[in-house]
This record gives sequence, C-alpha cells and structure tokens, in this order.
Amino acid sequence: MSDSLIEKADEILEKAQFAAAEFHQYDQVQTDRIVEAVFKAGFSNRVKLAKMAHEETGMGIWEHKVIKNVLGTQLVYESIRDEKTVGVISSDPRTGITEIAQPLGPILAVIPVTNPTSTTMFKILICLKSRNPIIISAHRGAAKSCIETVRICYEAALEAGAPEDCIQIISSGSREFTHILMAHPKIALILATGGTGLVKAAYSSGNPAIGVGPGNVPVFIDESADIPFAVKNIISSKTFDNGTICASEQAIVVIETIEQNVRAEFEKQNCYFLSPEEIKKVEKVAIVEESMSMSPYIVGQSVSVICQKSGITVPVGTRILLAKLDGIGKEYPLSMEVLAPILAFYAADDYNTAINMCIDLNYLGGIGHSACIYANDEKRIMDYAELLNAGRILVNTPTSQGAVGYFYNHLAPSLTLGCGTGGKNITTENITAKNLINIQRVSRRMPNELWFSHDQKNYFEESFSTDEILENYYKNH
Amino acid sequence: MVTFNYNPDEKVITAIFAGRLDTLAVQKLSEIIMLNLPLKDGKSEDKVIFDLTGVEYISSSFIRICLNIAKQAGSGMFSIIHCQPFIKKTFKISGLDELLNVT
Repeated sequence: MSDSLIEKADEILEKAQFAAAEFHQYDQVQTDRIVEAVFKAGFSNRVKLAKMAHEETGMGIWEHKVIKNVLGTQLVYESIRDEKTVGVISSDPRTGITEIAQPLGPILAVIPVTNPTSTTMFKILICLKSRNPIIISAHRGAAKSCIETVRICYEAALEAGAPEDCIQIISSGSREFTHILMAHPKIALILATGGTGLVKAAYSSGNPAIGVGPGNVPVFIDESADIPFAVKNIISSKTFDNGTICASEQAIVVIETIEQNVRAEFEKQNCYFLSPEEIKKVEKVAIVEESMSMSPYIVGQSVSVICQKSGITVPVGTRILLAKLDGIGKEYPLSMEVLAPILAFYAADDYNTAINMCIDLNYLGGIGHSACIYANDEKRIMDYAELLNAGRILVNTPTSQGAVGYFYNHLAPSLTLGCGTGGKNITTENITAKNLINIQRVSRRMPNELWFSHDQKNYFEESFSTDEILENYYKNH
Repeated sequence: MVTFNYNPDEKVITAIFAGRLDTLAVQKLSEIIMLNLPLKDGKSEDKVIFDLTGVEYISSSFIRICLNIAKQAGSGMFSIIHCQPFIKKTFKISGLDELLNVT
C-alpha cells in the first residue's frame, strides 16, 4: 500500500471531518437553503451535464440522461424538501419518545459510469440534506463529467453558506486509492453503486456501507396481461438510455399459450428475434467469456452498434434484440445481466414452469433487486411478489423508470436501490436522505404499568407454570 | 405419499412425491425411500429423480434426505423436477438448488 496514497486519503478525510464538524452546527433552515441552491444549480445544468456524460462515456442517449438528471435533482429535491433531517424530527407524547436526527459524518460516494452526473447530484443532495460531507469517487470513464458536476454543486453550496470541503471529489481512477478511502477510519458510511466487486469491497472495508450491485430483472407477462401495453412499456424501458439502468428488464418470460402473440407484438413494435446463429454472435460481444460478465464495450450501446460489433444485420429501426433461450445460467450467456437493448426471451410449458424460470433468473446475479409482472389477475400478481426475491416488484410498469421511483409510482426517487440481504444490503428501500442520519431516541420516563403492577417474585418461583405467571401478569388489565 | 417408477431402458428411477413432506411424514418415508433406491456401496448405477409435482411443503429433513441421496448417487446422477414455485424458492433459500440439480 502506497504511503503517498495513505497520506492523500488522510488529507481528504481531515478536510471532510472539519466540514462535518462545522455542518453539524447548521439548523434545518440553513441546511435546506444549501440543498435548494445545489438543486437549482444542478437542475439548470441538466442538459450540459447530460451531453458531457454522453460524450465522455459513449454510453446511452443524452436526452435520456437529461431525464436522469431531472430525477437526480428536481424529483429528489421535491421528495426530500420538506423532510426534517436536523434536530428534533418527531415527538410523540403518547410514547414519550422524541427522535433527534444527527449526521453520520463523511460519506464516500462511489459513482457508476452508467449514470455519472445524475447519481453524483442525487448523492450530493441527500448527503447535504442530512448534513454529511460527501467525497465523490468518480469512475475513471466519467471523471470529467463528475468533476464538472461537483464543481457546479460545490460552488452553489458554498454560495449558500455550506462548510468548506463539504463536497470533494477524487477522480484518479485508482482502485487502490478507493479501497484505502473505503477502509479509512474517518469514513462514516460508503454509498457504493456499481459492480459486484466494488460493492463487495465496500462491505469488506470494515466501515458501514450501503452498496447496490447488479440486477437481473425478470419480467413475467401473464396470460391475463394486456400484451400490446406490456410490450410497449418494456420497449420504452429497455431502450431508455440504451438500457444503462440496473433495473432495466433483462428477460421476458411467457407461457407457451401466448408466446406467438407476444412475439408478434414485439415484432410489430420494431423488435427483432435473433436466430440461433445470431445469438451466438451477439453473446460473444455482450459477455466476456473469461469472467462471464457483461462486456463494458456493450453497455449503453444502441442496437446498430451492437449489430456492427456482432457482425449481424437487422432491419433498420430495430429497437431491441431478443434472444429466445432454452435455459438459464452461464451456459446461456444472454440469460445474465446486459445493460444494453438486448433481452432474453423464454416460453414455458405452463404457469409453474414460467414462475420457476423467473426465480432462476432472479437468483442469477440479481437477488434482491427488482422484478416485474404484467398481469390483470390480482392473485397471480401477489403470488409472483411472494415468490420473487426483489426489493421492488413492479406491476404493469416499465422497470427502468419504475424502480427509480416517482414517474410511475410512489417509491422514493433514487438512483441507489437497496437490494436487501440477498444483495448483501441492509435495506430493500430506495435510498434517500433519511437513510443517512443517525436517529437518537430520547425516551421519557413512562413506567410500564403492566410490569410494576404484578408480583415480580413469581419469576423466581420455578414451580409456577408459564400460564400462571402470564395470568398474574395481565390480571386486571 | 411416494411411488416409484423404474425405466430400465434409460436406467432411471423416479420417486414421485405428493402432499406435505413435514418432519413426521419424512420420518415415515425415509426408510421406504432408501429401500427403493438403487444405492449400493454408496453409489448408484441408475439415475435418481425426485418428482415433486404434488408436493406443497418440504421440511428441512426432506432437504437433508435429498442431499444425502445426491451425495450417494454421485455427480450428475440425482435431480429434482416439477417443483411448485414455492418449493423451488425453498430450495433456492436452502442454497442447495444447484447441488441437487433442481429444475
């Protein structure tokens, strides 16, 4: 481990800790003023930053990145604007419990290359709202756009009276340095959004972490579904920013009885079913054989680029490539997560087999993330929700825009989606400001009458049965 | 609660289960299962398939039996088929679905 990197980390964390000390003294009004200023600055630069991110990463579609920036600023801001995050946040005279919010301290925020500017602004807003200084660790493939995002937000924060160094950025691209920071004793929390390796590193660092890794989102189209509606929504989601959102659909599962209808609808809406030979060609460019993980060269690319790289020809205007597969697992590379407009497609003999396929897909690298069902049968919807291991079960909803909240439902707008213990996360929630505060509970003396009104000596008498003790405990209540 | 079919051409013995395979039921079944499976000297010459089409509940003792038989049968000689989704999920949670070749 390099001494100079350790010194550099110490320097960054010292600054962050001084910022934390100052920030801790801010009241709600001061805090909210800063958050509003940063929101406005980020929001007014949404187009510029989207274009920068698109140009620098070569991923996605800039107009869609604008929408992501709107989510990461306006929609996130509106969802946290009125939330109490400073001092007393609740008081219940009935229970005598008063809750006090305290900041956590310096937060290390790791930013993915797929959503760089939107995730940076989102994490800055929720950290500032909770009075935590933030250190952005940018992906080297999106360093320039993250640096510019941080510059815009930081200047606005300072202008509004924020503590110096409340926002810092490291953009060296060195994994070693990120790991040093993750394990630094002055880090209060790591907000890690990225690949499996990165999230595992965050959890192994010894510091608290909220890490959100990959998904492998199955979509079940039930026989009761409105098929044209389902297909239209799936396409609008999977093509959104060329599929870079980790909650985007990965596999479509149908029952054989509706297979032809679903296929016809996809074709009608300009999607293309690959032949077995074409599937093999696309597999080779989409999945890295050695690691069996998606190729970074395919992430966020358009159908035309994917076809060019694969050496296949499809009709002009094709929106999504579909691959009908016979199985799930590493022997079928396209059954794994691919953040590009490629979908696996399965037709099952019957309902149970279809759901079992969804479970297998769910467990193939996407435990705890998101799942989707298109149906108009309430029992099937609830059965599906019970059977899948997913923090978000989206019903008749495009998953990219559905999982991140606000657009199609009342989930909290967020670019960090908790995956529960299945994804090695502490929560299944959409992460927001309330996840970044320590809540202290002031408990007023309110003696519990039940406890003091019964004879506690009974506990020491072994001859008393449980029923006898409980009868005495609840007597006269 | 369990019936056995033997296909001598394919050398496959299929145990077809039904109902709730709770601890009590499995206690009663375990001897029948062991008597009917072609395990000799800890190895199997025939493939063993557990068909769980009609099964609505499995206890941990049933999972343990599956594991023992899979180990004795040897690699690629044991599989579980036709699970209801709820049972499929149970095997996933046990972490043994791949080892037991649950499809």
